[in-house]
Amino acid sequence: MKKLLILLLALAYAPSGAGLDLGSGAVEATETDAAADTPQGEEEMFPFDEEEEQYSVSDPLEPVNRGIFWFNDKLYFYLLKPVARGYRWAVPEPWRVAVQNVFSNLASPVRIINAGFQGKFSDAGNELTRFFVNTTLGIGGLFDTAKDHFDIRKHDEDTGQTLGHYGIGPGFYLVLPILGPSDVRDAVGTFVDSRENLVYYLFEGWTYYEVKGYEKVNDLSLDKDTYEGIKKDALDPYLFVRDAYMQYRENKVKN
Amino acid sequence: MLKRFSVPILIGFIMTLASAAFAAASATESVRISVDAIIGVLKDAKLDKPAKRDKIRVVIAERFDFRAMSQRTLATNWKMASKEQQQQFIGLFAELIQNTYISRVEAYTNETVKYSAEKITDDRAVVDTLILSSSAEIPVSYKLYLKDGRWLVYDVNIEGVSLINNYRTSYQEIVKKEGFPGLLAKMEEKVRELANQPS
Repeated sequence: MKKLLILLLALAYAPSGAGLDLGSGAVEATETDAAADTPQGEEEMFPFDEEEEQYSVSDPLEPVNRGIFWFNDKLYFYLLKPVARGYRWAVPEPWRVAVQNVFSNLASPVRIINAGFQGKFSDAGNELTRFFVNTTLGIGGLFDTAKDHFDIRKHDEDTGQTLGHYGIGPGFYLVLPILGPSDVRDAVGTFVDSRENLVYYLFEGWTYYEVKGYEKVNDLSLDKDTYEGIKKDALDPYLFVRDAYMQYRENKVKN
Repeated sequence: MLKRFSVPILIGFIMTLASAAFAAASATESVRISVDAIIGVLKDAKLDKPAKRDKIRVVIAERFDFRAMSQRTLATNWKMASKEQQQQFIGLFAELIQNTYISRVEAYTNETVKYSAEKITDDRAVVDTLILSSSAEIPVSYKLYLKDGRWLVYDVNIEGVSLINNYRTSYQEIVKKEGFPGLLAKMEEKVRELANQPS
């Protein structure tokens, strides 16, 4: 079971590093033409907001993406989720939150570096402070002391957002094995991020993938069945996840 | 009601625009009343799950403007649909939105909701809330507009993802591939599927 997970994780890291070019920034936000139209006749159309714009998501690899989406779906329901559920049953929630805190703390350099690259120096400073406070007072990051006692909150930044900040578009949509929804820009970003994460320098070889696998299971154990909800409610879960992801990232780049 | 506000905030309200402050309170209050009602129903141990869902449906139907939501979701397709198709769409869409919203709220029953900010421009309001759970803070904001003196929700934004925008892209793609009747058929099937599920 564990070996399979590791193997799959190894698989996931290979493609995210190799051969993805940043060439095609094909996604453009276009104003919806509906906004320009005036209401017809007696029908009162609900007015559109000025920020109302429509993203035409570029998804030239849709058939391949759907294949990987299917694979991830099966992986989720038959492997990751059962493991996470057993783990959730065995380990009390505060411990799992502490584990998540440790991983988050080890990922601090990602946020420090990328806040800095985007010229958000106060965020970078906050993240640096958080790293020192949580590593020392928070006992190796087990506790988010910076948030709980000093009200210094985490601000997510990553390489994908930095690239977006400098005008690089998302490119086309990608579904990565195990890692899930991504796009060309974020696939590159994810790879770079993994090199800015201290986990990469603390563990070598197989152990690294084991640790990453454990992080994923721990995160899933704290998740409130988000994916199950989407599967149940959406007309087409693939489209729902794709569009939610692209919107989510677009919003992250802006903030 | 006034006890809920701390004194500085209250003074702040008065110091700015008295009228705006009054309207301001009512937009957030509108969301708060509905959210509190929903959480109240969810925590009610005497009700079984279907009974809870029915009660929540009533609360949501009073606060969500499904017609406005449908128009925004369909955008140009709305005008191309016939009156009957529009009516059918609103009914099905309401059903789906309620389901999605309820199942998300159910997952977070035991968390606290913080009302963090509110922006009002004329007859529009954005109420920002934060769902605080042990491991995360999830920003959920409600877009409302004033209709006949009542604040009605026309979009919900969760972590930067607008529910309506999300539906719009998916639905447009389905309409493009299968036509409007195809979309309605898909929605009908989904509603039936959800009704037959025990959860």
